[in-house]
Amino acid sequence: MSGGRSKAIVLGGIVLFNIVCLALPTIIVLVTSFTAGNIIRFPPEGLSLRWYQTLLEKTAYQEAFLRTLYVALICTAVSIPAGTLAAIAMARYRLRFLGGLQVYFLLPFTIPLIVAGLGMMEMLISIRMFGQLWPVGIAACIINLPFMIWAVAASVNGLDPDLENAAANLGAPPLQTFLTVTLPAVMPGVITGALLMFVLAFNEFIVSLLLTNARIVTLPVLIYNSIRSVITPDLAAVSVVYILVAAVAIWLLDKLVGLDIFLRSK
Amino acid sequence: MMDMKATNIPISWRLLDAAEALASRLWPTSMRRFTGWLLLSPAFLLVFVLVAGLVLIAGYSLHELDTSTYRLKADYTLENYADIVAKPTYWKYIGRSLLAALIVTVVTVTLAFPYAYVMVRTRSPLLRKLLLISLFLPFFIGQVVRAYGWLILLGNQGLLNVAFGWIGLGPFNMIANYGAVIVGLVQFMLPFAALLLAPAIVAIHEEMELASESLGANWLRTLWHVTLPMAKPGLIAASVVVFTLTLTDFAMPEILGGGTTDFIANGIYDAFFQLSDKGFGSALSIILVALGSLLVALIFALAGAGTLSFIAEKRK
Repeated sequence: MSGGRSKAIVLGGIVLFNIVCLALPTIIVLVTSFTAGNIIRFPPEGLSLRWYQTLLEKTAYQEAFLRTLYVALICTAVSIPAGTLAAIAMARYRLRFLGGLQVYFLLPFTIPLIVAGLGMMEMLISIRMFGQLWPVGIAACIINLPFMIWAVAASVNGLDPDLENAAANLGAPPLQTFLTVTLPAVMPGVITGALLMFVLAFNEFIVSLLLTNARIVTLPVLIYNSIRSVITPDLAAVSVVYILVAAVAIWLLDKLVGLDIFLRSK
Repeated sequence: MMDMKATNIPISWRLLDAAEALASRLWPTSMRRFTGWLLLSPAFLLVFVLVAGLVLIAGYSLHELDTSTYRLKADYTLENYADIVAKPTYWKYIGRSLLAALIVTVVTVTLAFPYAYVMVRTRSPLLRKLLLISLFLPFFIGQVVRAYGWLILLGNQGLLNVAFGWIGLGPFNMIANYGAVIVGLVQFMLPFAALLLAPAIVAIHEEMELASESLGANWLRTLWHVTLPMAKPGLIAASVVVFTLTLTDFAMPEILGGGTTDFIANGIYDAFFQLSDKGFGSALSIILVALGSLLVALIFALAGAGTLSFIAEKRK
């Protein structure tokens, strides 16, 4: 087939360009983090782990890391029940105003993050809770909630309702049906959504920037503040923490549910 | 034979029975028709925080700043909106954001479609996994770290300028301009677009393309007349997400634009934290929300929610 070759060349070329474009910033950060020099320069002046050592010495980075972890865990813990139940409700129950609800639950995407962040900031200030860390986790959950609902909804839509009916028909009360039939079936969606929520909260920037002060700054905000002053290689070493977290999350996602879950038809 | 003691019943059964009894007492059968709403309520309340915040911001936008006390005046006015309309700077921000959103959407979707297509259609599980991983790794790394990577790449002593130096060119000023922001945004949006396009491509049976080709169409005509039209739900979802995320972005113009290419979001941030005028910043926020919602509503009204829908096609 003569068309087959030109198709392969064009598609292959674009895909390769995409891969390079996607990988370049990550690779460059990795390489930079191992430099021995005081400034970022190419080629690097030798290799060393000295910037990783500064990470161990600087408590500011470690504290920010722990705070970010805390925020991400709160976000995940809140979004698992809220998102799972909402997805099951929308896919399984006959709800009035379903169309309106769909629009409502897309609000976290349609309200710009800067506006969502400022709104929550002003609310926290007015109820005198600004400066605490846990609301940052709740905020990360709110702005990313559609991801959780999508992930679970995909699993619920793939579950045959007759299985739940069969359980009920065999005498299982509603709670037992839910725990033994519905929940195990939607588990892949819950795991996918939970991992997404954790990683997104761990990376969350603009809303954290608005909801934190100097005392409770999170890691992305700390990196941002440092970029604005002097760009030193220790930032690259901090960024490698993000690359590691991302790699672990992808590995987990692939082990637990398989990355192919994102290639399901709707 | 029938004197099986209660203790012989597994503890898990008894726990479940107890939970079941508790559930039916707390939520009797007569309430059954509201169960859907009960399940929905936690998520509903969470999202309601956003609505409340938006109402608060809308309220602020109707009060002018009192420059003697730096508090908002009590009386209602549209003065903040009039101020924005009268200042060319803000028209520039709005125009710049809209143009960037348009460029980034077109470029990103054009690049992401072939990527998603190959990812779905390839016969090699290894290539599929590689493509998925190269998509997820940057997606999971976050905007600030990726912007930092671009800074190192494009900076005046960055890798690209060093490479140009070797072949006797440059150094070029590739940072702190519109182009750098666009590049950073396209790279940031690629995973979103590809992941929203993929399910739509999965839904197209490959036989459709084969039929088209066996009827004599070359692959470009097949792409144009069969694949692209059938992938419409994915194209809509990807375009809407990329467009709104770009329109409202803060980090890329801030980090890669170096203060020279502010978007609307940067204007809002500065109004709040540099001018300390939250009335003015709120008015600009409401304009941004209106602009984004209007465009999204227009696309949804014309073409439906595409793969952004939470509900499977067949139930509609």
